Amino acid sequence: MTLSGNGRWIAPAVLMIGGSDACAADLELGRYLAAECMTCHRAATRTSTIPDIFGRSEGELTAAIIAYREKRLPNPVMQNVAVRLTDEEVAALASYFASAHKP
Amino acid sequence: MTGLTRRHFTSLTGASLAALAAGSLCAPRAFGQAKPRLVVVGGGPGGGTIAHYVAKDSEGAIDVTLIEPQKNFTTCFFSNLYVGGFRSLESITHTYDKARAAGIKVVEDTAAALDRDKKEVVLAGGGRVPYDRLAVAPGIDLKWDSVPGYSEAASQAMPHAWKAGAQTKLLVERLHALNDGDLIVMIAPPNPYRCPPGPYERASMFAHVLKSKSHKSSKIVILDPKPAFSKQPLFMEGWEKHYPGMVEWQDPKTHGGIKHVDAKTNEVVTDLATYKAALVNVIPAQMAGKIARDAGLADQSGFCPIDPASMKSAMDPNVYVVGDACIPGDMPKSAFSANSQAKVAAVMIRGELSEARTFPARYSNTCWSLIAPNDDVKIGGRYEPGDGKIKQLDTFVSQKAEAADIRQQNYKESFDWYAGIVADIFG
Repeated sequence: MTLSGNGRWIAPAVLMIGGSDACAADLELGRYLAAECMTCHRAATRTSTIPDIFGRSEGELTAAIIAYREKRLPNPVMQNVAVRLTDEEVAALASYFASAHKP
Repeated sequence: MTGLTRRHFTSLTGASLAALAAGSLCAPRAFGQAKPRLVVVGGGPGGGTIAHYVAKDSEGAIDVTLIEPQKNFTTCFFSNLYVGGFRSLESITHTYDKARAAGIKVVEDTAAALDRDKKEVVLAGGGRVPYDRLAVAPGIDLKWDSVPGYSEAASQAMPHAWKAGAQTKLLVERLHALNDGDLIVMIAPPNPYRCPPGPYERASMFAHVLKSKSHKSSKIVILDPKPAFSKQPLFMEGWEKHYPGMVEWQDPKTHGGIKHVDAKTNEVVTDLATYKAALVNVIPAQMAGKIARDAGLADQSGFCPIDPASMKSAMDPNVYVVGDACIPGDMPKSAFSANSQAKVAAVMIRGELSEARTFPARYSNTCWSLIAPNDDVKIGGRYEPGDGKIKQLDTFVSQKAEAADIRQQNYKESFDWYAGIVADIFG
């Protein structure tokens, strides 16, 4: 299962970010931005409509956020989350959730 | 993340120098004091979220106390789904056990007054709780006299159910006692109020219950002091589709003005008609909770002005106000908004009390509304400080005549959101 439920978006978006450097990502910024995501995602399960995003790969997370930012994925709630995120913020978020455990 | 980086070192040094220069009066953390203290008044979506985020992210560096009189908190959000039979009251009622386990000191008492000069909260039980920073999130109070004839006593006969719990239970009991052919009158509130789509979702839930009991001629009349309401085209379409002829919405031009209600006779009088109803649901005008108004944190609007970049009170630099009690600019008064504002406040409070790094304020909201089983619509937006308020940057809303699978997905999504946000608030 991919985040989007649609794996074809993954590859091009990873290329766009150029395989983000985990060392460069700002984890404190990621944690702050992630607080918005927690509202909906923190109780997600494998079967919920809202996906469990904790511990997913940075590439997968980055691809999904960018696909929502570019409105290539349809959910308006997620488009609204992603619409104003810069590449740096996307990298910070992806890095944070890739290493975070569900509370 | 725990190492003392150059940035941390610089900011610590800067803060220490500032404290020395200004004297300990102005320093958030006085020398010799064990830990800086955050006190949160109100354990709902705004207050609960602040308490949890400051406790968690400060990793014990800040002493967090939450003052909330209720042992169990029933959320107003999703209480319409209890009205409609989609959730139990128990499933939307939460304790503070997890807050205690997270290291938050939960004081089960009413905050009777705020002594802002001494920086203390005065408890109804007699104690005083000192703070370095105070977060105020008391929610709303109802303006009983905004509907002539209505009162707190009258709410036993004509429930408002705009604070969840006993009132919601009463409303549901009355709803289930109705016979086919009965009339429900709802008086909707004027702006600004908690949960803009809430009255219309509630009318939908009334209609759903009556329809599922095979009522043929029962009717729901909504008397509205507003000329328009949130998600109006979507609700209108849904009512026509699922409950044809059952729900009638009247704007001020149609009813001519709501003159008064009589709780003894269950009558509602408008400029043009007198309704003898079997159930009257009066949702009065609203204002910030009493504690905030009494403490001088509200302006003439009855709500509390804030700095949109921090959620800090415009009246007191040691106080933050979040949730329904604040003036949220373009944001609606919703649990989602309160939770979003609380996260900004939590970061700013940590910045002041423990020199944590802060980030620019960013806010978001989504409100889901259920019209009928598996027919759920949503509206939302993104916000940032701008033009002296919390300003809307982007917005979205469900479309009319959407595919059934989208509406069903919204319904499932709203349940997942509920599970997430209550974990954010209550642990």
